[in-house]
Amino acid sequence: MFDLFSDPVKVAQQWEIICSEYGFAVWETLYALALEVIFAYVIGLPAGVLLVTGEKEGIHPLPGWLMKLVNVVINLLRSVPFLILMIIVLPLSKILVGTKVGTIATIPVIEAAQSMGASTWQIVTKVLLPEATPSLISGATITIGTILGYGAMSAALGGGGLGKMAINYGYYNFKFIVMWAAVIGLIVLVQIFQSAGTKIAASCDKRLKNRS
Amino acid sequence: MEPIIEIQKLSKTFGSGDSRVEALQDVTLAVQPGEIFGIIGLSGAGKSTLVRCINLLERPDVGKVLFHGKDLTELKPKELRMQRRKISMIFQSFNLLDQRTSLDNICFPLELAGVSKKDARKRAMELLETVGLPDKAGAYPVQLSGGQKQRIAIARALASDPEVLLCDEATSALDPQTTDSILKLLQQINRERGITVIIITHQMSVIEQICHRVAILDAGVVAEIGQVEKVFSNPQSKAGRRLVTPDTALPLSAWEGPVARIAFNGNMSEEPIIATVAVELGIKLSILGADTRNVDGKAFGTMLVSLPEEQQDRKKVLDYLNNHDGVTAEVIQ
Repeated sequence: MFDLFSDPVKVAQQWEIICSEYGFAVWETLYALALEVIFAYVIGLPAGVLLVTGEKEGIHPLPGWLMKLVNVVINLLRSVPFLILMIIVLPLSKILVGTKVGTIATIPVIEAAQSMGASTWQIVTKVLLPEATPSLISGATITIGTILGYGAMSAALGGGGLGKMAINYGYYNFKFIVMWAAVIGLIVLVQIFQSAGTKIAASCDKRLKNRS
Repeated sequence: MEPIIEIQKLSKTFGSGDSRVEALQDVTLAVQPGEIFGIIGLSGAGKSTLVRCINLLERPDVGKVLFHGKDLTELKPKELRMQRRKISMIFQSFNLLDQRTSLDNICFPLELAGVSKKDARKRAMELLETVGLPDKAGAYPVQLSGGQKQRIAIARALASDPEVLLCDEATSALDPQTTDSILKLLQQINRERGITVIIITHQMSVIEQICHRVAILDAGVVAEIGQVEKVFSNPQSKAGRRLVTPDTALPLSAWEGPVARIAFNGNMSEEPIIATVAVELGIKLSILGADTRNVDGKAFGTMLVSLPEEQQDRKKVLDYLNNHDGVTAEVIQ
């Protein structure tokens, strides 16, 4: 697996594969990633908001049976791609209180908004989400990293992208240069998203602004 | 005059079983329009719960909260939200939105009420002027000091043009000088806009400095209510006495003999009263502790003195002191 360059014929052959397939594999990976992240946030964000606002001590308590149902559905969804919810629900409450213990009705800024006569919808859209934006972004960064990893693993089950290249072309066909190229590609992608995400999250977090 | 806020037979309990805490028991009090009303108590006395019951951030178990004679506890959520705009609140930890500038924080309640962005900004700028921070419009909360944050919070509270301003330990996180300036600002707002101010605090100095009337809360029960001056010079309850007793170098319990607290107002403080007791009655008192306080602009002094062991002498001293105008003396130990 580590004797890569001793046979010039094999090297040339593999180089050809990389040239013709690599670009598409990267595209496929990014495409799947975008879909997965959008899916995660479209489902996960409302679900997260519902969970924190609708609980018994929340700002807009919903009937117990409904919350139970939502919980069951979420747990079903979650147990498959568990990362989707976990990563999204936690930061919402975490950013606002510094801990995820306790209900959001006692989060100071939410209480302040309530004292001004804000409705539940106003609290969610004008307080909860804007105040949690930086952590939602850093949550997305972590989600992206994890999804890239999962996506690569999915190649074993017929998924496409860089993972497929690494496993099918590389590992199974003993084309280890191709395999390493795909693996390095994945690592680079994760790095890019990680540093970009961290930067964006930091730059939009007004709590980190230096005193001027 | 009809009270603006009236709390009737209000009780609130937290938890159940062994962890049951009766935060408030049968609390009744009325706040008049235009006054600065203080609610004081030690931590755990229930004062924060009480103020949070006024705008129903906390729902009382029993009792009514009347605003202009209307029971808030019976309102539908939407009606309650409308009433809450007339009862603003400021907090110990300021509770500004960290991701918004000062100006946008002040605009926030106006945004909630559906005021146009342009009008909201104009009003917010005026309020920044009022609280003395016109140059901080673009600053984020993290860039402000504690006192500045509270000023922004006050401006935000005034944005919806409220009739009542609730202050929940609003100066407890601030240093004495900043506390002083925030209290002056509250006083100015009360005078210029006629807004009724309700102040929750554990500091007697805050009450003395700006409140007209005070309610003393002790273990969830109102111990006494009255004019600050009267409560200060002649407290009727044990909790009241504890709050106005000056500090002594040694704990009072270390002193074996009887002790009296003497309160006197500034009008007569020229007279050397302890000395005249010695000269006229021939009884020498030793001073255990003393201080002067500024109660709503008037100078007040308090003193702790030892009393003679002899019953008759003791009575003589107390009668002598109490016969002076503006002096009250009572045995506290």
